[in-house]
Amino acid sequence: MENFGLEHITLITGILVILVGLWGVLTQKNIIKMIIGFALFDTGIHVVMVSIGYVRGNTAPILDEAVNAKNAAQEIVDPLPQALVLTAIVIGIGITALMLAYAIKLYQKKKTLEIHNFKDLKW
Amino acid sequence: MVAPIYIIAVALGIAFLLAFLKSRGSKVAEFIMELTIAFMAFISLQWLIGFLSGTVTEKTVYTAGFEPPFSINLVMGKMEAFFASLVNVAGLLGGVYLRKRLKEQGANAVIVYLLLFMGLNAIIMTRDIFNLFVFLEISSVAIVGLILLQRDVNAIAAGFKYLMAIGVISGLMLIGIIFVYQFTGSLYLNDIIGANLTTFKGGIVAVFLVLIAVVLELKPFPANGWALDVYQSANPGLAALISAAFASALIFVLHKLMPIAGSDWQIIFATIGAVTFVGSNLLGIKQSSARRLLGYSSVGQMGLLVMITGLTQFLNDKLTLIAYGILISHYLAKAGLFWLAGIIENDNIRNWSVLRKKPFLLVIFGTFVFALIGFPPFPSFFAKWELIMQLAANAGYTWVVLILLGSFLEGVYLFRWLGYAIKLDNLDLPDFKITWEKIIPVAIVSVGLYILGYFATPIAGGAGNLNFIAIAFVIVIFLVDFLPAKLKNAIAIAAIALYGYTFMPGLYETDGLRFFFSIIFIIGGILTLIPGFAYSGKRRGFYPAVLLMYAGLGELLTAETMLQFFFAWEIMTIGSYILIIRGKHSITHGYSYMLFSVGGAYLLLAGFGIAFASSGMQNLEALANITTLAGWASALIAIGFMTKTATLGLHIWLPGAHAEAESDVSPMVSAILLKAGVFGLVLLLIHLGADKAMEHPLVYVLGWLGALTALIGNLSAVFQEDAKRLLAYSSIGQLGYILFAFAIMTHVGWLAGFTYTINHFLYKALLFLIIGGIVLRLKTHNMYEMGGLIKRMPYSFIAVLVGIIALAGMPPLSGFAGKWLFYNAGIERGWYFQGAIVFFAGIIAFLYLYRLIHAIFLGQLKDKHRTVQEISPWFLIPAYILIIGIMVFSAMPELVLKPVGQFTAQYFPNETLQWQADGTAIGQLGYWNNTQIMIVVMGAFALILLWLLMLNRNAKKVEQFNMVYASERPERPETTHIAYNMFAHYNKALGFISTPRITGVWNWISEGVHALADQVRRIYTGNGQAYILHVLAYIVIVYLLTTGGF
Repeated sequence: MENFGLEHITLITGILVILVGLWGVLTQKNIIKMIIGFALFDTGIHVVMVSIGYVRGNTAPILDEAVNAKNAAQEIVDPLPQALVLTAIVIGIGITALMLAYAIKLYQKKKTLEIHNFKDLKW
Repeated sequence: MVAPIYIIAVALGIAFLLAFLKSRGSKVAEFIMELTIAFMAFISLQWLIGFLSGTVTEKTVYTAGFEPPFSINLVMGKMEAFFASLVNVAGLLGGVYLRKRLKEQGANAVIVYLLLFMGLNAIIMTRDIFNLFVFLEISSVAIVGLILLQRDVNAIAAGFKYLMAIGVISGLMLIGIIFVYQFTGSLYLNDIIGANLTTFKGGIVAVFLVLIAVVLELKPFPANGWALDVYQSANPGLAALISAAFASALIFVLHKLMPIAGSDWQIIFATIGAVTFVGSNLLGIKQSSARRLLGYSSVGQMGLLVMITGLTQFLNDKLTLIAYGILISHYLAKAGLFWLAGIIENDNIRNWSVLRKKPFLLVIFGTFVFALIGFPPFPSFFAKWELIMQLAANAGYTWVVLILLGSFLEGVYLFRWLGYAIKLDNLDLPDFKITWEKIIPVAIVSVGLYILGYFATPIAGGAGNLNFIAIAFVIVIFLVDFLPAKLKNAIAIAAIALYGYTFMPGLYETDGLRFFFSIIFIIGGILTLIPGFAYSGKRRGFYPAVLLMYAGLGELLTAETMLQFFFAWEIMTIGSYILIIRGKHSITHGYSYMLFSVGGAYLLLAGFGIAFASSGMQNLEALANITTLAGWASALIAIGFMTKTATLGLHIWLPGAHAEAESDVSPMVSAILLKAGVFGLVLLLIHLGADKAMEHPLVYVLGWLGALTALIGNLSAVFQEDAKRLLAYSSIGQLGYILFAFAIMTHVGWLAGFTYTINHFLYKALLFLIIGGIVLRLKTHNMYEMGGLIKRMPYSFIAVLVGIIALAGMPPLSGFAGKWLFYNAGIERGWYFQGAIVFFAGIIAFLYLYRLIHAIFLGQLKDKHRTVQEISPWFLIPAYILIIGIMVFSAMPELVLKPVGQFTAQYFPNETLQWQADGTAIGQLGYWNNTQIMIVVMGAFALILLWLLMLNRNAKKVEQFNMVYASERPERPETTHIAYNMFAHYNKALGFISTPRITGVWNWISEGVHALADQVRRIYTGNGQAYILHVLAYIVIVYLLTTGGF
């Protein structure tokens, strides 16, 4: 168990959240619930990303009194995944917002939010 | 050179600016956006031209002043410049097209539009994998935003499904990217490629997730239901951009990322592409919605491109031509088709006949269809040709089969659609409006296809000095289509004469075989155009098609390489298809003609591929040097040609196509066009080599096929009520003779074959001209509605009499020469049983010939025909010229047969037929002198005639309704007319042979394929969640196939 650390917990949590999110997307009939599923899926990915950048025992990549600027590289976790996560969060929010906008439009058209009511196009 | 970073900087800057000016600037926002994209296009084109002219070298832009991996860097290389240009030009034209819609929607839509193209440019240029992800997201989100340009519920629902699927796909891509980063410590593409990630398990998963996401963005079959709905329901202006710009950019991304996986995975991508190409085109055949059909076609084309990306290792130095040729043809044609769909605003493909109200749009539509399938002169033609050649050269025959199968299926629905547009009779549809901003992009892309086709030509191996003058002339004729038909007819005749003059003089000395066929193609072309003077009005579309067909026929003769031959073959096919489908009831016949032609052409292509692979040669001599798979090659090529000669099994298109064609088209397609197939077969047999071919199993099969075709063709002709159908079936039978004769593979056999070829040209043109002229006068094809016309049309009668005597092979006319040689050859060869069948078929021919002349000219004149005129002199003139031809050939057959014998002797040096000075031919079984036969028979004929004239004094003239003849009711001829169901008794005895079983077989195949397509497409249930499940299942399955297990 010595090798088992924080990064593994977050990684497994992240993957679980991804799966829960996918489950929601695939099984929920209500469009809003599908969107929540997607948001969970996205969040899970973000957790996974953060866990990848984690270096055991190191601290947040912020230069302050806790981190000596001279040997910062040895003391902080990998800052890049964290930067990426920020971008990914922004994109994820954008997509979620667009999904919600679509949900509003769909509701306006058919007065329903059940995904199986939108099957006019097929084959 | 403007630095490439400005493409992105300007787009982003203007987008922000527009957001600030939103309230005030909404009027001009659209215009500013157009200027911006025009500037972006200018930059990328400037770089592209720089690369093409060699004045610039690849440029790398380091953002933030650091070198990678510490900063994002963008590369502007040759390929980047090309793809960025494609994307930006699409953006520019698409912006013009969507101008009105964007204006209505205001600045927000304009900003989203601009961001879409900023994103696409960035994903093309960036070398940073996370940056790629970000801009891919921006582009995808922009597309989903633009879907809202269409406000109906289907579009919105489709957009939602698209968004959910894209969200899941990009999420998985992000996971892949972060693991790639974990293993390599870099996001810089070059570092990642250097890290060889696929050597260990975790790396495999990471790379797989990234690449499969890109593949999924390209909508692979069957995990693409979410995309098809968008193609169908989004604004066609947007669908055009998804299909052209977005897909092109993604193909480049796939190409860029492929090296991460190394070459081992390429085969996986090739398979994914092949499944998509075949599967998607299969489902396309059940579509009736134009835009959904275009969606299937887009997906299929992307499959083909993914396949090419996966097969690069096989494609050698031709990769550029192949990939760009197919990509750019798809890009231009598909964008154009979607734009057209938006212009006519009628989604049912049956209603596209409304295009006929704007003929130039119909031509543009045809251009797109032919370009998509890969007909000349478009870039895709040369690309497909090289693709097949290179794959064959690397023994990738499975890929060849898949590509040809998918292409054929694509032809099935595209030609059905084109046929509806050209011909379907529902013109009561409301007209549609066209606006300049929608027409200009369509016109530009269609012109672009021609120009790029011209420039693609020299890159293809063996294109040589491919002659474009004829095609250019066809385009000119099309542009002056407003002229009266008579003037265009004169121009067309002059053009064909001039064209013949460019290659016929001197041909006789150098190449007797080609000279022989040039007489049929060129002289025949002129003769069969003369009846065109009988038509008034403009005959729109007729002359470009005729000239295209004859240009193709002529180029068949001048072709030196296999590519030139195939080019000519396809040109001829386009022209003849348009000619055939012009007939009043020809929509189904034109369609089946085209399907058999396309299928046959693909078999030819495969055969040529084997020939190229085996011999390494590009010219036609390759056919003589096939060492591996020779049997396959010759069989494929032979079947390909036999689709044109309408040999048994492949003949079902002919009767309808020839019978329903216009009166002056029937002689062209019957007497002349069929000979193109004969020419091809003769070439094939020559290259097989006479010595080898004697024992070749192929010639036995051909011999049998010829004999059976003769029998069934003739027997079917006997039972026709329709005079033109009778002649059409007769052509099938005659072509059977020709096939049989050439398959004998002896000197005499070939002489017989050539004799039949020239004879069939002479008398079938003659008969079709006369019967066509009569049909124009009487407005019916049914023989039992005719009768007694000898009194009204004596010149026609004499012409038909000469024609049927020649056709029947009775002395003294030239048909007898054919028969004499024929039986000699058959007996020499020892093909007694086949010979007996052919002999029997010859007797059957008497029945239908008798019926033809009796039912039309003898018997009772119908009341309504009492004042009918002799047929138009424009039909009689060429007919009588042909009669002169028959007479000369009959009186002095040695005039033709001696030179034919001379060039045939090159191929069969032994056992030649000897000619004596007086024109007597001496074969191994006897001698024959047709001049003498003619004198004797004419003498006997004259004696009997004199005798009859002497008896005539005693004859008593009776009125038409004298009781002696009254067993007929002219007002309802089918009740008592002898000509109706004339050979009922034979039908009872032998009719079972001529029941159209083969038609049944083909129908069964067709229905089976359609039923299969209908079953498979039910996976697209319309449920968005099912589509996401498809995506996930697809990922799992492809992963298992890639790695062979977890």
